[in-house]
Amino acid sequence: MIDHGSLTGAFGAYLTGVAVTSAPWLLTTTVLMSLRVLARNNGAPDFQSVEHLLTVIYALTVVLSAPVHVVVSRYTADRLYDRRVDLIAAPLRRALALTMCGFAVVGAVAMAVMGAPMALAVAGTVVTVIVGAQWLALSVGGGMSSPMTVLYAFGFGAPISLIAPMAVERFFHLGAVGYLYGFGAGQLVTLVIMLHGVARAIPEHSDESARLAPAFSEYRLLSLSALAYYLSIWVDKLVIYAVMGHDAAALYAAVSALAWFSVIPAFGWIYVQIETVFYRRFRAFYDDLEGGASLRQLRSRADAVTTETVRILRGAAVVQAAVTAVALLGAPYLMQLAGLAPVAVLPFRLAVVGAALQVITLLEILVLYYFDLRRDALWVSLVLFLGEATLTFACWALDWPPACGYALACGLTCASGAILVRRRLGTLLVDTFQSQPFAGRL
Amino acid sequence: MAAPEVVAALAGEPLVDHRSPAPAVTPAPAPGVDVCLLVEGTYPYVPGGVSSWVHDIILGHPERRFSVVNIGSHPGAYGEPRFQMPKNVIALHRLFCQDGLPAALDGPARNELAEQIRGARARADARTTPSRMLSAFRRMHLDEEVSSELIDDLGSADLSISELLHGRAAFELFSEMAERLAPEAPFLDLFWHFRAMHVPMLRVLATDPAPAACYHAVSTGYAGLVGAVWSRLTGRPLMITEHGIYSRERDMELARADWIQDHHPSLPGDGAGTTWAPRVSPLRRVWSRFFRTLSRIGYLQARRLVTLSEVNRRKQMADGAPADKIEIVPNGVVLRGSPISADGVDGVVTAGRGATGSPGDGQSWDEGVIPIRPAKLRVGFVGRVVPIKDVVTFIKACDLALRTVDMDVRIIGPVEEDPGYVARCQSLVDRLGRHDQIRFLGPKKPAEIYGDLDVVALTSFSEGQPLVMLEAYAAELPVIASDVGACREMIEGRTEEDRALGPSGIVCPVASPKHTAAALIAMAQDTRARRRMGRAGRRRVTAFYQRRTMLASYRALYAALVTS
Repeated sequence: MIDHGSLTGAFGAYLTGVAVTSAPWLLTTTVLMSLRVLARNNGAPDFQSVEHLLTVIYALTVVLSAPVHVVVSRYTADRLYDRRVDLIAAPLRRALALTMCGFAVVGAVAMAVMGAPMALAVAGTVVTVIVGAQWLALSVGGGMSSPMTVLYAFGFGAPISLIAPMAVERFFHLGAVGYLYGFGAGQLVTLVIMLHGVARAIPEHSDESARLAPAFSEYRLLSLSALAYYLSIWVDKLVIYAVMGHDAAALYAAVSALAWFSVIPAFGWIYVQIETVFYRRFRAFYDDLEGGASLRQLRSRADAVTTETVRILRGAAVVQAAVTAVALLGAPYLMQLAGLAPVAVLPFRLAVVGAALQVITLLEILVLYYFDLRRDALWVSLVLFLGEATLTFACWALDWPPACGYALACGLTCASGAILVRRRLGTLLVDTFQSQPFAGRL
Repeated sequence: MAAPEVVAALAGEPLVDHRSPAPAVTPAPAPGVDVCLLVEGTYPYVPGGVSSWVHDIILGHPERRFSVVNIGSHPGAYGEPRFQMPKNVIALHRLFCQDGLPAALDGPARNELAEQIRGARARADARTTPSRMLSAFRRMHLDEEVSSELIDDLGSADLSISELLHGRAAFELFSEMAERLAPEAPFLDLFWHFRAMHVPMLRVLATDPAPAACYHAVSTGYAGLVGAVWSRLTGRPLMITEHGIYSRERDMELARADWIQDHHPSLPGDGAGTTWAPRVSPLRRVWSRFFRTLSRIGYLQARRLVTLSEVNRRKQMADGAPADKIEIVPNGVVLRGSPISADGVDGVVTAGRGATGSPGDGQSWDEGVIPIRPAKLRVGFVGRVVPIKDVVTFIKACDLALRTVDMDVRIIGPVEEDPGYVARCQSLVDRLGRHDQIRFLGPKKPAEIYGDLDVVALTSFSEGQPLVMLEAYAAELPVIASDVGACREMIEGRTEEDRALGPSGIVCPVASPKHTAAALIAMAQDTRARRRMGRAGRRRVTAFYQRRTMLASYRALYAALVTS
């Protein structure tokens, strides 16, 4: 679309970027918020427990499945690159089965810890399994099937997730359990559509001897990096919950969620830029390397990659700065619109600044992934995770707004990530050669 | 430094185990070993002229104690020894230029390797003093002159393979070399080629010198390099014998090497001949220069340089060998029988060699008279079936000649070294429909070869002083040979006295089936001339190429070196 050179083409491209990067979580968040509103309007007293359970379920599935997703996603990408699609189906099937079994256990334990009644616990466990499997399918589906399949799956599943709980509640009067089953049904539809899309992309012949286990060892740094990053999404909330209690944590979680909406345009921009100009420069470097480029040409290509990376980082920063400025200025109005108290304005502003810095950090991690700098990506993710935990706590201890800790941590991580990216790209050529296993062993 | 692998205790003698590092300078001559022979790939694992020569040298000096250092490509490249070790060989050591082929790595192993590489990079980059070896590599490629300091730096062994492959300093050196030697060449290829040049050097030079009173390298190249470095480290003298001229042989291999990818992808066609360089590609030039420098290192350090012929002496000098170090010691054979057959009339030989008979060991050629004219010219190609022998040209020449004269052609020699080339030759014979006339007989003992032939042909791209020619002469057979190495002077004579004996064969241009075929036809059609040439050959070998003469020369050379 963007290659058409027209304004509509560019707009369509960025809209696709937004949809692909943000639609799944945006739709899910919208469904959950809408459910809350609808449930309150219907006077459903049990919905608070449903909301609480769903928050826990999503937190657990996102964090615990992250290491698996990144490994499965990388394994799939590598097999696609090797043109060995036949090696994907068998490991994916086993990973899916294990994920479902694993999350059945995780869900059951979580329900038990939360003291949920048996009927609610069973429903909660079922939803945990579906959502966990959904994340796995998303990680594979993103690479193997068209982005439209993912959009279609979430676009079709989201309304069902919204309508089904209300219908089940209205016709079967199952209360909170009905809400959960209804929501789970919608998510199940999303899962089935995504799995169908993946299955269509997999060839009939499958090598059953293919194993995923070695990939967990090979990509362990990536896996740890993903775990650290996803933990960082929740750790500040947990710290606030631990030191300030439920109400403060709920408010903080709400402003954080709203602040995170501000990164959607930057996500769209990053997606388009990474998938187009950056990818072309990136491929040109490696294609030239393998295609017989001279040293001078390779240096020129490496410089082009560096220039492009800096341009994307700057561009993302500019896009994000514009949205952040609007969000900062409109914070009081936005809080009012969201039905939050004026006291939420400052935490929201801090969270918006933090989100802006975090999205740039995410882009830096993405660039490090691109160049297979796993250790550096892990370093950045760990700085983010530990920074959020310690600085949130420190800010509370200093009697500063806890959201300040989040913003500071994101700023610190963003800066260290930028330094790392700059340094690594400066030695891209030498690293590319000197890191290869030329001797087979040392 | 690590000690070389000692693979066998020979002849019931205790192994000379030199695992403890030798003193860096001028130790006393090692007890037990007079001469350490350094060979590249050949003796005792590969059959052929050089291996036979080494074997003869050892057998011819029973009063000397030898050790043999075989520098091979990688473990498993060669099979069992092809020669029974003489009793005066104390030890056989093996050095390898490469490891065996690495196994495919799975996830955990790849991770482990990545960690090792990370550690190696960190260690290499943390190095405070620059590597002398790396500096020597730089000078080898970029400087015109070689020096003793260069050899000392190469012998410092202060660079590990991991530092070479993963260190920043090595990368900077490779980059500088790429910019200065081949700026337009694919850098990835250059990088692998630099690696392929230097890793073997690091491997063989990381070995403690095998102790000996003197070192004798049977070529320049890696053998000469190791000899030069060990000679500097121990202070013991080095002698180099070159059969062929190493750098020239490598040049010929490089010209044909398909492992150098130097066609430009942007040029049309299938790549054949579409080099991105106007003439010799920079990659081949870099290799050529590298091999030449290896030779010059050997020439510099060697106290004596022995060559087989005047032609080779001139080539060595052109490559930088000092004239006063060079001595010509032709190869020699043991003559049996002896008296030269009398001249005969066409179709009737007065010597005891007929169409079907061989005099055999100790049998005189002039016993009895069997006046039989061979129905067919029996032509023998004697040698390994490998590309450097250009068997393809020989087959094509025979095919051309067979259109005019009747011949029985035998290709006699080992066929295991390059199965692909052997298959190509066999397929050519089949394609030409000559499988009845051109036969591959495999290796045979010399005594079984020459008595059943009328003429011996050699179409090699490169030769030193072929033993086959001397054996053919000893059997009173004329030789058709390509104009390489000492072949011309062996056929036409080196000195006035030699030339007076008359030609003992026909010299042909290299890789010329047409000229070789013409020579074969001439041999078939003019029996009288053929016999005359055979007799001239016998006289030539008797006068100039006897093994006892060669051994006497080496005895004197060894005596001078060992006692120096």
